[in-house]
Amino acid sequence: MASFLSLLRRFYLTVYNWTLFAGWFQVLYLVLKTLNESSHENVYNAAEKPLLLAQTAAVLEILHGLVGLVRSPVTATLPQISSRLFVTWGILWSFPETRSHVLVSSLLISWSITEIIRYSFFGLKEAFGFAPSWLLWLRYSTFIVLYPTGITSEVGLIYIALKYIKESEKYCIRMPNKWNFSFDYFYASILVLGIYVPGSPHLYGYMLAQRKKALSKSKRE
Amino acid sequence: MKVTVVSRSGREIVKGGIELSDSATVADLQEAIHWRTKKFYPSRQLPNPSPPTGNKGETHSERVIHPVQTYALYYWCLHYSKRILETFFVHRFSHATSPLSNVFRNCAYYWTLGSYVAYYVNHPLYTPVSDLQMKIGFGFGILCQVSNLYCHILLRNLRSPDGNGGYQIPRGFLFNIVTCANYTTEIYQWLGFNIATQTVAGYIFLVVAASIMTNWAIAKHRRLKKLFDGKEGKPKYRHRWVILPPFF
Repeated sequence: MASFLSLLRRFYLTVYNWTLFAGWFQVLYLVLKTLNESSHENVYNAAEKPLLLAQTAAVLEILHGLVGLVRSPVTATLPQISSRLFVTWGILWSFPETRSHVLVSSLLISWSITEIIRYSFFGLKEAFGFAPSWLLWLRYSTFIVLYPTGITSEVGLIYIALKYIKESEKYCIRMPNKWNFSFDYFYASILVLGIYVPGSPHLYGYMLAQRKKALSKSKRE
Repeated sequence: MKVTVVSRSGREIVKGGIELSDSATVADLQEAIHWRTKKFYPSRQLPNPSPPTGNKGETHSERVIHPVQTYALYYWCLHYSKRILETFFVHRFSHATSPLSNVFRNCAYYWTLGSYVAYYVNHPLYTPVSDLQMKIGFGFGILCQVSNLYCHILLRNLRSPDGNGGYQIPRGFLFNIVTCANYTTEIYQWLGFNIATQTVAGYIFLVVAASIMTNWAIAKHRRLKKLFDGKEGKPKYRHRWVILPPFF
């Protein structure tokens, strides 16, 4: 029974990882195609569907961590996924005025390349039990460039959206109400920007440490 | 319309009377009187009353302070005064001091959450609950605070005066059914506060405090269970609720 369950787990995770790989590959393809054929303003519209699907599906990864299907700690995946979902749904989807900005292109390129490498790495590991060393190297090296570009794009887009957030009063809860609660999306977004300040170096440092561990381990093997 | 304002004895309070629009209300009249006389006509006043806007534009609404907000203030202060007094006169600590870093962490916790809750409870647009709900909330809360005090006294008596006592099984009162009755009463008294004041911020505070205390309670329960396992003549630790009957 136990080995059946572990086989099932492997099968499920293989399907999951390769499906998301396909989704992000589609995102990258559409982004590059649009940049080639027209201009950066249309990038979001071209890639919207696979982007929303692939990014939102990543919520499952929190579940995987919680039930113990995968080893990654929830404390590492949660901030990463929250910031991604915030930018995807809370900024780009909610405020169309941001979609034509060139930072959308840099954002989607950074995200999709990172995810393509990550999902193929895990997809191979779950399916075949190992991944080629060049893929391991990619997984633990591309972040060195892609994290700064991605984070800059995220921060930039949030900052650009601030004006529209304030004007539209979207997602705001005002007083008075029965539950004496209020929420201001504008100030919440500024708070999020604030979190990026300590959060980004912390995450980057964590990845550098992971890189050292992973690459030295593979050298010894 | 022209309104003359005259005292019971017939003296004109507002010389020349007050000119009001035909659809003016008593509130408008009150406003106009205290603008003219700078004396306070019965109702809560703004520190800097501004001239009445008349009936054009928005109605000028005064800041009203609800009774529940005042009671909430008394309740909050009572809770923390009690806690401070307990620290001096009731609690017996196994260690003389706690690390300095705790001061920053604890203060940050209390001041952040305290101001978060206070902002909403004392907000100008605060919406109070019904009078009955308020009374039930505060009443229940006070009851729990008194129980909490009794729990602390019971716990104190477990330790000998020189602070030497090891762990013992708490007995009596609620401790017979729940391990950390002091935490139980503490959580329920905040629930009382929230029933009376009804703010999301207050409930968030309740959930955070409850989870912190639950973590402590689980550790304490485990410790006591391990210690009092019935072997070597030690009394067996009976099965009890950990912290929150009837849930956990």
